[in-house]
Amino acid sequence: MERLKLEDLARLVDEQPTPQEQAVLDGDPALRRELESLKGQARALRNLPAILPPPGGWHELEQELVTTGLIRGHVPGAGIWRKWMQIAAAFVLFIGGTAFGWVTAAAPGFDGNVPEQASASPDASTSATPISLDEARTAVEEAEREWRRALRQHQELFHAVNGQQQRRDPVARLAGLEALVAAGEVAVQESPDDEFINVLYVNALMERQQALNQISLEAWH
Amino acid sequence: MNRPPNGTTGSGDMEAQLIRRACDGDGRAVRALYDRHAPRVFAVVRRIAGDDDLAQDYAQEAWIRAIRALPTFRGDARFSTWLHRIAVNSALQSVRKAKTRRMREVSVPDEIAVAPRMGDALLKRKLEESMDLLPDGMRKVLILHDVEGYTHEEIGAALGVTAGTSKSQLFKARAKMRRMLRGFEPSPKEVEAWSV
Repeated sequence: MERLKLEDLARLVDEQPTPQEQAVLDGDPALRRELESLKGQARALRNLPAILPPPGGWHELEQELVTTGLIRGHVPGAGIWRKWMQIAAAFVLFIGGTAFGWVTAAAPGFDGNVPEQASASPDASTSATPISLDEARTAVEEAEREWRRALRQHQELFHAVNGQQQRRDPVARLAGLEALVAAGEVAVQESPDDEFINVLYVNALMERQQALNQISLEAWH
Repeated sequence: MNRPPNGTTGSGDMEAQLIRRACDGDGRAVRALYDRHAPRVFAVVRRIAGDDDLAQDYAQEAWIRAIRALPTFRGDARFSTWLHRIAVNSALQSVRKAKTRRMREVSVPDEIAVAPRMGDALLKRKLEESMDLLPDGMRKVLILHDVEGYTHEEIGAALGVTAGTSKSQLFKARAKMRRMLRGFEPSPKEVEAWSV
């Protein structure tokens, strides 16, 4: 009597069975199921997602790279704080502006004299609560466009008020976008059907491509 | 850097530029490369290490080796492939040095308690946990073959064993994993051996 062990089946995941083994498999449904399970296990292993390194991993590595002279050192966080302050300022301005808009629009006697661009926003008066998913999605997309527009205007004003514009380093921006894309990849693998995560991921990919194009153009010139 | 890496895509060209700048010691370019490839590097190193704390050290060591070797990258393969090889070799070497994992081989549970009908994410987690519990040699072969797609010849070269040994370790590892993950499927019948 011969015995076909689990290790033998594990071999058959990627090797052809001998005629004798095939005959055994043909005659035993449980055995075939077990083989399928092993094949499924191998497929699952092949598709394991990447793993985000723990936070702070880069900073430890950076210190080591600076110490060993593999990269040039820099003042830690120099620029990052300024960027965060700019983002925070933009956010506060946007929220403040939105709140101001709501208050003035609702106030009695307000004559509705708003700049053309602001009044061009999508049917703010007519579209009340969205009644379908499509309408809600459209509203979100439109709000996002408005937000981007407001942010852009704020940046222009900010730089106009603060004198010469600090030139953004595209490589530094690319580094941030790479982090977003990497996190997005993992998130999408974990939740492939999540629309929000997918949209975020696609946006990050698009931004990264633009950043890459910018670097390419600068290198070309 | 003699010539840019393979691939005519914009992304490949950009990567070549990042590599050139990284070779010149530009920390931001290194950061961009790190952010792009860190999850994959960390994944393979973590799996080979079988331990979070060790993985962090091994990953850092792998990156330092890669950055140091960056000027030798000639673009014959994709950068991600080249980097991945360095990470694998570095992690294997680190494990060999540490030798602490041998103790793990004495206590491998036959089965990990799992509830039926689990989601995909949980399955992946269980797979990772089960791999961590495999004996060192089996785990390395399983990771390199089933997760990373190495051939037995490549594994043999990396681990200093024959292709036959690699195969035998792989089949044992798969069977051990299967035993540990039993209960995951709708028909969790334990069938250790079948009469022919």
